[in-house]
Amino acid sequence: MFGWHGKILRIDLPTGTSRVEEMPASLMRGYIGGRGMCSRILFDEVNPSIDPLSPENKLIFATGPLTGSGAPAASRFIVSAKSPLSNCVSSPCCGGYFGSNLKYSGYDLLIFEGKSPGPVYVTIRNDQVEIVPAGHLWGKLSSETEKIVREDMKKKYDLDNWALNSMGIADIGPAGENMVRFACIMSDGGRAAGRSGLGAVMGSKNLKAVAALGTGQVSIADVEGFRNGVMAFYQEALENGEFYKRRRYGTWSLPGRANASKSQATFNFKSGYSEAFVKYENPEVIRDLIRVRDEACFACPFSCGKRSRIKDPEYPLTAKGPEHETMALLGANCGLGDMEDVCRANYLCNELGMDTITTGAMISCAMELFEEGHLPEEDLGFHLEFGSTNMFLLLKKIAYREGIGNLMAEGGLAFAGKYGHPELFMGIKGMGIPAWHPQAFDALGLQYATSNTGGAHTKSTMPFYEGRKDPARFVEFTKKDQDYIAAADSGVLCWIIYHGPLWGEKLAEWLTYVTGIEYTQEGVNKLGEKIWNLERLFNMKAGITRKDDALPPRITNEPRVKNRVVPLDALLVEYYRLREWDENGAPTREKLHEVGLDDEGADLE
Amino acid sequence: MRIKIDHKICTGCKQCEIACSLAHTGAVNPWRSRIRVFVGEEFCLPVIAGPYTEAACNSEGIRVLEGVEVDGCVLCRASCPAKSVYKEPDTGIPLKCDFCGEPPNPQCVKWCAPNALTLVEE
Repeated sequence: MFGWHGKILRIDLPTGTSRVEEMPASLMRGYIGGRGMCSRILFDEVNPSIDPLSPENKLIFATGPLTGSGAPAASRFIVSAKSPLSNCVSSPCCGGYFGSNLKYSGYDLLIFEGKSPGPVYVTIRNDQVEIVPAGHLWGKLSSETEKIVREDMKKKYDLDNWALNSMGIADIGPAGENMVRFACIMSDGGRAAGRSGLGAVMGSKNLKAVAALGTGQVSIADVEGFRNGVMAFYQEALENGEFYKRRRYGTWSLPGRANASKSQATFNFKSGYSEAFVKYENPEVIRDLIRVRDEACFACPFSCGKRSRIKDPEYPLTAKGPEHETMALLGANCGLGDMEDVCRANYLCNELGMDTITTGAMISCAMELFEEGHLPEEDLGFHLEFGSTNMFLLLKKIAYREGIGNLMAEGGLAFAGKYGHPELFMGIKGMGIPAWHPQAFDALGLQYATSNTGGAHTKSTMPFYEGRKDPARFVEFTKKDQDYIAAADSGVLCWIIYHGPLWGEKLAEWLTYVTGIEYTQEGVNKLGEKIWNLERLFNMKAGITRKDDALPPRITNEPRVKNRVVPLDALLVEYYRLREWDENGAPTREKLHEVGLDDEGADLE
Repeated sequence: MRIKIDHKICTGCKQCEIACSLAHTGAVNPWRSRIRVFVGEEFCLPVIAGPYTEAACNSEGIRVLEGVEVDGCVLCRASCPAKSVYKEPDTGIPLKCDFCGEPPNPQCVKWCAPNALTLVEE
């Protein structure tokens, strides 16, 4: 078979056994791979009303037909489960080497079911799948865990230096073990499947790590066409400057742009501008300060990833990032103005295994509660005004659930609610709002509010479409981009590189070369729309309603940035209309029929 | 004519391994590539498979590159009995770079976006 392997590896954690299943052709044709397949399997196999941290939840690692094919920037893998943070379907994606190794091992999907009686980790080397006790890993930081797992793999398979550093590892830190609701799954030295708390799901299953080392191949249907297509794409990326821009700065060009345009999450979203960040508006400054090397994901010629280091003996290791979202949420939003402090916070979050975005939103919320006198110093054990580096202590308290950290680990609404001000948590469906201030662009507020996974920047990018400043077209672009990214996440193609308006047509092109099946841009976007609707149905069954498609009152009522508020109610009406959903945000029977989901909505009527 | 390697700008993306295996086997599999990128924390090191040697040596030892200790076996291009790289995984047949035929048209160089690999006349 070209592209896919057509194989699902299922691991039953209670018994510590694994089995390989043939994948139904309908799953490949109907959902491509990655996120599409994950959403379909969750819909079919997981009761949407379960507690996400119960053994009934399933944890899926997914690749797509493009993973490992060499299509530029097609290495990402998707992790999926019902989110313990937002209670929604969730499918964060992550780069690095893990996805391609899972694929080269011969599997498209890896599904974990149930809960292991004790801590385990899993090693996969093609058809050798082992579920191994992980007592020696439990409690370890992410980088320590990966180091030990690598050594274990080296001994087990007598690996040379090349193989040792070509493998992929996905793991959790202490935060995941302690089921912090915004714990993430870490991978390959600081990458993360970050947003929806799936580290806690992994922890709830007593699963510490998964290591994959595949030695198989991915077959390509049209080798000549593919090679020529890749070369033409390279030429394009060279000529339009994307190669240079991405490799030189990655997301480090964004803090400056966000700050200069007053769009940077700052002081718990009270502002869009950080004076302290002005010195970082030239990304060369950040590069000179912390960069070690440019670090690409597997098969990515753009290499936007950056490895960094600060001169502080307490932080001896290099770290991945910080990316723009981290700089904004843990930095400007918490009042930090020193990039080295941002690196410290990033380093701690990566090692403890917590999402830097929601964690940043939690800390900034605590800071505002403290400054406003709602959160007493004795509850914290230290003062915590904006900009205080005592936040590093708080990060550890959260990860280990110590003192107030135990409450904060339950998420923003539980924490801010306890102190009487749930509105001060800047989140959507429990998930922290990412870096770009929604008041800077109306469409952004709409995208965050309607994302199927919660307040995420990854399910629709900020519109880069021509004409994006025309309010009449906000809603159109939001829908279009959401559908496109659902398809790209299924390829799995990196949406950070392949923005819909820039290279949206490439997804169908790569899929056609690799699988030998004729795909069109309209066709894949239509599959994206089906996936989006299916996810919405899952969320509705999980209890999500129109009232959850909301923004914090600070965003809709208080003109903080550019003297504007987000007119969400009006945008939502238009959005539901364009999606052909009813006024409560439920997909209509006609719409479901059109996208090929005739039966899926039946029990919701 | 040779392929010049600048490890300082290699990003570890391994597109060269992909391009090589695709050109030589018709499918994508880094384990069958004649170029291997040794990924490190401080830098990555692409090494191109050289001639096969029948005996392993013990003279390589540790070399220092960019202030980092590197196993000499990593820097050595030879396919030898002591190494598992630069061999077909199933048959053990040694692999050697052939510049993708005559005239030389190395695919790894074409697929190296950062230009860590360049074809030079010398």
